[in-house]
Amino acid sequence: MKSLRQVLESLRIGFDSLRANKARGVLTALGIIIGIVAVITTMTAANGLSNNFKESVSALGSDVLYVSRMPWIVTGNFFEFRNRPNLTLEEAELLARRMRSARAVNPTINTSKSIKYRSEVIENVEILGTTDQQMLVASAVPEIGRFLTRFDIRFNKSVCVIGSTVRERLFENVDPLNKTMKIGRRRFRVVGVMEKQGSAAFFGGPDFDSQVFVPITSFVKAFGGSHRDINVAVKAPSQASLADFEFELIGEMRKIRKLRPSDRDNFSINQMDSLVGMFNSVMGVVVTIGLVITTISLFVGGIGVMNIMYVSVTERTKEIGIRKAIGAKRRAILAQFLFESMAICAFGGLVGLAGAFGVTALIDRLVMPATISPGIATLAVVISMGIGVLFGFLPAWKASRLNPIEALRYE
Amino acid sequence: MTIEMTDIVKTYGMNSVEVQALRRVSLSVAKNEYVAIMGPSGSGKSTLMNIIGCLDPPTSGSYSLEGEDVSTMKEDQLAEVRNQKIGFVFQTFNLIARSNVFHNVELPLIYKGVSVAKRRKIAEEALEAVGLADRMKHKPPELSGGERQRVAIARALVNKPSLLLADEPTGNLDSTTGSEIMSLLDDLHADGNTIILVTHEPEMARHAHRIIRLKDGVIESDTASSARAKRTA
Ligand SMILES: Nc1ncnc2c1ncn2[C@@H]1O[C@H](COP(=O)(O)OP(=O)(O)OP(=O)(O)O)[C@@H](O)[C@H]1O
Ligand SMILES: [Mg+2]
Repeated sequence: MKSLRQVLESLRIGFDSLRANKARGVLTALGIIIGIVAVITTMTAANGLSNNFKESVSALGSDVLYVSRMPWIVTGNFFEFRNRPNLTLEEAELLARRMRSARAVNPTINTSKSIKYRSEVIENVEILGTTDQQMLVASAVPEIGRFLTRFDIRFNKSVCVIGSTVRERLFENVDPLNKTMKIGRRRFRVVGVMEKQGSAAFFGGPDFDSQVFVPITSFVKAFGGSHRDINVAVKAPSQASLADFEFELIGEMRKIRKLRPSDRDNFSINQMDSLVGMFNSVMGVVVTIGLVITTISLFVGGIGVMNIMYVSVTERTKEIGIRKAIGAKRRAILAQFLFESMAICAFGGLVGLAGAFGVTALIDRLVMPATISPGIATLAVVISMGIGVLFGFLPAWKASRLNPIEALRYE
Repeated sequence: MTIEMTDIVKTYGMNSVEVQALRRVSLSVAKNEYVAIMGPSGSGKSTLMNIIGCLDPPTSGSYSLEGEDVSTMKEDQLAEVRNQKIGFVFQTFNLIARSNVFHNVELPLIYKGVSVAKRRKIAEEALEAVGLADRMKHKPPELSGGERQRVAIARALVNKPSLLLADEPTGNLDSTTGSEIMSLLDDLHADGNTIILVTHEPEMARHAHRIIRLKDGVIESDTASSARAKRTA
């Protein structure tokens, strides 16, 4: 009880002396403020990127393997991949027939075209030739109308399903269903509009909402297909392990391509996990660099606090002498100065936190969805108080060890 | 005995030039004595007061305060002794300028760990006793020298010390204000306090009942005050 009271008194005395020197305290806290804004923003941005990324790759499905000519993440010799043959539609059909255990096999092919409805034109829209199987491998479904059907594929129907952004920009207030739009120079009838999915465009990935889906057969007929590379999504059966399934898939692909046992695979199998793994390692490096930089800035801020605390101790040498003469113990003096530096830093931490909320709101509006988690906010305040203790300790220790007589005599 | 000192030596400057500020001073002061210490400048008066006040340890010799050996105590124990047994009044007042009068006076109680309510009561009473109850919210720079010294006296008294030490308390005051302070000390003595006063002025020393003269770090004489002798006669 008594010692708690003494702690509270030291706290009050510490705050009192801060109030006497507001401008200096605020200036000193600036270093901490900047450091805290940097720390929180770094962590929040990393968090936001992660969430954004996970959201967009989850559209790929964790139990879906993607067969393609090139690996998604190219490591090693690029030229080795360059000579690989394109994956063809025939190969995809063979694969679909052979992979009996697969829940879905969906070949896709893509290009970029301008699209037009009446006078409205959008350039460089990603056109995806796909099949009805897409509904089985991807999570997004049409919001209005329907997706492509087996029938559309079989009979090369000139129909399309558009992403939500395409609908907004091309049709505005018009109901797009059964309207005819132009893709390149060909006419397609809109049969469906996809639900909003969000975008991976931030990572250079596809913007799902800006895509137009057409039957893969019509795609080939309209835009040519022989020279194009296709990708095949293969969905694993629910009970099988993905590794076993991948093994089977590689085997079938090798048979289709008639590879000899000594030949290397001339195709790649990709999956969401590899993207996640790559993302995590890249993020790890980015976050580490960010934290090193912000730690340095906090350290510099801390040095500023230490410097001001030394000044404060020297300025108040006489006061320390007086306090000791009337019975202040060492720990009372130590606590007084520690609380003072903690108060400066806590102030810096809180202002920094407020600043970080501002920066995060900006990021949220302009770049990507981002929010400060309560954990990060708490951590920031704790860190700043910790800096107060860490960097305030030496000056406070010095103050507590002053000889009372010498301190009293100080002018 | 309140103070029992034997063979106190204080040497400054450890290596090159040694100054012997006190050479084997022995001194006893009983409860409720009123002692004045006089002597030329540099004779060791302040040094002796600082040792009596446990602010400075003696180089050698033994010192017990109310039967407690303080010459071997550690710094934090000494802080406690200063807090609870000693009240200081300095020539330069030594108030904390940015804290108000009330806070200055309650400070020794804070370091003792007294509760807020009790602190308020005791500090107010002490300020009342020195006639400054209406200036509690003022800061020391807003007060006159005499008022500041009265605040310092109130601060020295809040913990009911066994010993009130005043090193030239009127040194920075004009003679009228100085005698006001002196009559305040007289009252405190009449209330049963033990007082040790350092002064240059015989006028002031006359308030005490015993006069100790220091010269070159030794006690030259230790006599009952003539005034006291006259008064009691
Ligand atoms: N910290 C110190 N370092 C070295 N010498 C000191 C120190 N303090 C005091 N002295 C010396 O000790 C001697 C006694 O000093 P002290 O302050 O006790 O004198 P005083 O009697 O109080 O003088 P005054 O009347 O001027 O206040 C002096 O010679 C002084 O120079
Ligand atoms: Mg002196």
